[in-house]
Amino acid sequence: MLRTALFLPVVLLAVPFVWDFFVAYELGLYLLYGIVGQGLVICWGRAGFLPLGQALFFGTGAYLSGYILTSFEASWIAVGLLLVIAGLVPALIAGLVGAMVFNRQIGSGPYFSLITLALAMLGFQLANSADQITGGFNGMTGIPGLPGVDSYEGLYFVILAALAVSTLIVTYVLKAPFGQLLAAVAQNEERLQFFGFRTGTLKALAFAISAALAGFAGALYAPHQGIVTPQAVGFLLSAELVIWTAVGGRNKVLGPVFGAVFIGFLAAGLRDIFRFWEVVVAIVFVVVVLRFPEGLSGLILAGGRRIALGFSDRARPVRDIELAAVRQESEAALRYDGIGVKIGAVTILDGLSLDISGGGIHCIIGPNGAGKTSAFNALTGKLPVAEGTIAWQGETITGERAYRVAARGIGRKFQVPSVFPELSVGQNIDIALWANRMSHAEMFSMRSYRWRSALLAHLEKLFPFLGRPNIRAGDLSLGQRQMLEFALSNLPEPALLLLDEPCAGLSAIETSEMIEAIADLSRTYNRMLVIIEHDMQVVEKLSDHVIVLHQGRLLANGSLAEIKQNTEVQAVYAGGAK
Amino acid sequence: MEIVTVYGLNLLYTVATLGLIVLGLAVVFGLLGVMNMAHGEFVMLGAYSALIVQNQGLPILLAIPLALLVCGLFGWLVEWLMIRHLYSRPFDTLLATWGLAILMRKAIEGLFGRGYQSIDQTVPGTVHLLGVDYPAYRIVLFGVIAVLFAVLFGWYQRSNTGARIKAMVSNLELAAAVGIDTVLLARMTFVFGVCTAGLAGVLLAPLVRIEPFMGLDYLLSSFFILVVGGLGSLEGLLIGSGIIGGTDIVVSAISDKTAGYLSVLTISILFLWLKPDGIFSRR
Amino acid sequence: MNRREFVKTSLLGAALAGVAVAPLRTAIAAEPLKVGVLIPLSGPAGLFGPSSQNCAMLAAKEINANGGVLGRQIELQFADVGGPPADATRAALKLWKGEKTEAFIGMHDSAVRGALTNLFKGQVPYIYTPVYEGGECSTGTYVLGETPNQQLEPVIPWMASEKGADKWYLIGNDYNWPRDTNAAAKGYISSSGGSVVGEEYLPFTADNFDSNLAKIKDTGANAVLITLVGGASVGFNRAFASFGLSAGALRLGTLIEENTLMGIGAENSANLYSSAGYFGNIESPAAKAFADAYKAEFGADAALLNALGESCYEGVKLLKALADKTGSLDAAAMDAAADGVSYDGPRGKATMSARHVSRDIFLAEANGNQFKVIKTFENVGAGNNCG
Repeated sequence: MLRTALFLPVVLLAVPFVWDFFVAYELGLYLLYGIVGQGLVICWGRAGFLPLGQALFFGTGAYLSGYILTSFEASWIAVGLLLVIAGLVPALIAGLVGAMVFNRQIGSGPYFSLITLALAMLGFQLANSADQITGGFNGMTGIPGLPGVDSYEGLYFVILAALAVSTLIVTYVLKAPFGQLLAAVAQNEERLQFFGFRTGTLKALAFAISAALAGFAGALYAPHQGIVTPQAVGFLLSAELVIWTAVGGRNKVLGPVFGAVFIGFLAAGLRDIFRFWEVVVAIVFVVVVLRFPEGLSGLILAGGRRIALGFSDRARPVRDIELAAVRQESEAALRYDGIGVKIGAVTILDGLSLDISGGGIHCIIGPNGAGKTSAFNALTGKLPVAEGTIAWQGETITGERAYRVAARGIGRKFQVPSVFPELSVGQNIDIALWANRMSHAEMFSMRSYRWRSALLAHLEKLFPFLGRPNIRAGDLSLGQRQMLEFALSNLPEPALLLLDEPCAGLSAIETSEMIEAIADLSRTYNRMLVIIEHDMQVVEKLSDHVIVLHQGRLLANGSLAEIKQNTEVQAVYAGGAK
Repeated sequence: MEIVTVYGLNLLYTVATLGLIVLGLAVVFGLLGVMNMAHGEFVMLGAYSALIVQNQGLPILLAIPLALLVCGLFGWLVEWLMIRHLYSRPFDTLLATWGLAILMRKAIEGLFGRGYQSIDQTVPGTVHLLGVDYPAYRIVLFGVIAVLFAVLFGWYQRSNTGARIKAMVSNLELAAAVGIDTVLLARMTFVFGVCTAGLAGVLLAPLVRIEPFMGLDYLLSSFFILVVGGLGSLEGLLIGSGIIGGTDIVVSAISDKTAGYLSVLTISILFLWLKPDGIFSRR
Repeated sequence: MNRREFVKTSLLGAALAGVAVAPLRTAIAAEPLKVGVLIPLSGPAGLFGPSSQNCAMLAAKEINANGGVLGRQIELQFADVGGPPADATRAALKLWKGEKTEAFIGMHDSAVRGALTNLFKGQVPYIYTPVYEGGECSTGTYVLGETPNQQLEPVIPWMASEKGADKWYLIGNDYNWPRDTNAAAKGYISSSGGSVVGEEYLPFTADNFDSNLAKIKDTGANAVLITLVGGASVGFNRAFASFGLSAGALRLGTLIEENTLMGIGAENSANLYSSAGYFGNIESPAAKAFADAYKAEFGADAALLNALGESCYEGVKLLKALADKTGSLDAAAMDAAADGVSYDGPRGKATMSARHVSRDIFLAEANGNQFKVIKTFENVGAGNNCG
């Protein structure tokens, strides 16, 4: 890696002298495309969503640049202004689109991709039709070069500098906590929301950064070419940008640069001599997608395995910044009032009313289909509430989104352990520590990797495997994943922690370890724990208070002894002693 | 009044042809999650099948079995070589089929040349209908497409295959566990999807330009129709075609084609944003 | 030339640069003259690649057989400019600076032309050959193609008087060439006593023309001026005929050439006219000789002759005429000598003034899937392009 870092700049700087300046000119164009592709590394390689209209931002940057260079006397102040505007305007557009789309839709489905595609098509048509401003199809022509820089010679070095800046930016973004959060978005966006992260904003920000890079590259494209036409905005260039990125490697910072240069020279070399040159390019492309999804740079730079997914073998920084414990402002109080939830025609919760307050362990029991997990889902914004209200600490929070509920100090552990499988144990812990604590600025500070808390030390004692941070979370056993997620859901130190069958799938020994841990933590930190449990053994050992649900309603509510005496409960459970 | 009738018939034509083209894409995308960027190129294969039949002087109806054969065999091969490796990687299906589309265009260019081809109208001339002169072949097409959709609808509702596909979609592992050959079923689904594209190509051939790049025309608007209509129902498909086609027709009539195109894109974006599961979704 | 050779020659070139290149070149008079031919071999216009390539090669062969240009044999260097302007600039720069190409002939869209004039800046002769919207006036650039003035000035009045065309509907793709063509057309329509009943521009993606046809019918137009390009023109004309509109309104296209007509199809081509500087079956002796030579050289199955392809033949011819009069390939000297240069080609005699040529214009009527020239307008000027 270090060798590449030294070798590559030397080779690139030597090109105009060893070959010729027009080879460098050609290379410069591909490097600009590569910079746009580097934005795709952030969005697609890291965060898992694929923008299909990146040319929109590239072209917008190029038109803005062309307009500024043509209209104003060439001066370096104008150039500085130009680089800022050409990066900022696309970033604002992308940020806005991203915020609007990602905050409505969770996941990385094709809809966002199709929206960006449609936007690029829209952009092409507008650039084509608004010929008073853009010059129409024939383009905005006669754009002068940067002041004192020959477009065919000196500009190449400016492009190299831009590439260096872009590479540094992308590398930093990926290495910073923000980059790790993006990897978490790709792997388990919902989980991240339950840690209180507004994932839509994270994705929108990633998209905005990629758009800024595209606009920045476009700003140099205008003086490089002297002309900007609607093709610079359109769908075909957008598709090609994705192709170059895929071929070069969507997971490597320099992958798209390599892809654009490789395909660029391959196509340029073939197109004048071989009528079916596109066949060669298409075959390369299809084979790479099928056989080498990490791209050609993944093939060449072996050893950089899994970096992009966030998992890395690099030594973790020592955790030496102690976080203060989260203080509970007031006594925990949760109230369900006549909650009704329906899925289709099926009633899941049927006017559930319930009051829980104070610390300690509250167990929810009930037969299958009683609505236990749905009660959690209604609270945490996972299921739409049709009627009734839910109040937390006296404030109505009905229908709030998962991240808002989490930000109020309500944590949750799922029945099937939900962690970030491609991240290491240490990285999973990072995210849980960051949850509800991290400011936007801290997402870009490497200091955040050094955070630790008293609770973390406590948890490491309870679960010794947490002390081996370099294990990939997905490689843990089911029991360990349950324990990891349990630990993660504790780390933000929520005022209310919801545990959905924390012992499901655990062996007898693991079950008793888990019971011990829950009891230990409950004793040490007086917070409200609500546990859904089938296993009466667990209920016996842990519960301070038991709630029985049946058919979406509250059946009984009291101490375990009281519940055992309740005839209605006995009737429901008559079928078995479970 | 006449102009209203013409626009009404045009809308019907648009819905029918778009519905036919999108059908295969909907099946492949909706059931398999494969974004087939080469869908338009299978339409092209259908059109060139009609060309072969015409050039050989054979009865034009033979184009239908030929197109089904060509698309079926080629679709089978593509599924085997390419698609089946990518079921769990939806973005990669998009990329791989984009490459496939280029290869198919170039193959047709190699075989038939770059130039435009022309298929004669099987039913030439116009007929006088509801007070207007309307192309006779289009009227025939309405009937054919209506029958086709009715048959498909009935078959999917009643046949065992329909139930199996539904089972496969709702739970892949369970379907495999109860003895459904999901590998074969997925392949047949893909083949079915591209065969309907080929059929669309044959039926539309007399009306459109025929050349290696023709497939691009059908691709992008098809995806937008899919999204507007929502996946998973024939009604949604036709309503999606109606909304996209209707917007284009109405805005183009009031203003111009460019405004129509911009409106279609805008509506598609709004649907993708606000109602990504289609017009029937409750979200 | 493979990459290694390329590197070697480039290094050698760099070593010699600025020392003695120019005197060296004049000393070796028999050194071949490298002419870059920039044509679309891929992309939507790639259809015209093969015929353009053939025509340029035929011209070079004929000129070389008669002693070449300034005593030097022409060596054609083809480059694909079917992509966006950025690709074309790259290809042209590589030829110009890498291969030391001394003159360029281009048959491509206007966006690429804009990029190339910006690249060349008058330092190398550049001949632009296809039909276009007019107005190119850059130094060192010579335009052969038909301008809207040439295609319409004589034709629209003739259509009015001979065919009774007085209610025109203008339809084109949404970009510069159709808009500029229609702007010119409006003047000729009103001066010939007609009126424009509709004007509409379609995005490149348009593939359904129903609403346009309904409007055309509704306006009662009896003539349609078509500036749609390629596939859109094919699709529009097929739909136009299928609605039975051909009998009621004539169609005039300014870019409907032989390939487009093949796509439109014989049964859809009734009452369809095209105005251009060339058709594959012009009856003049020069044109017939050219068509025969083309057939002899490339076979009966070769790419169809058409105005765009043939313009590359004319381009090579014009280069020779310019070089002969100038006595060199120096761009500045050529610019000074260009006015008044003329040559004879398959299209007839062309005479250069203000970077454009005045020449004969042919009006053809579609007869099945063939064109038949029905009227020749002699020596039509290109209009005012440098105002």
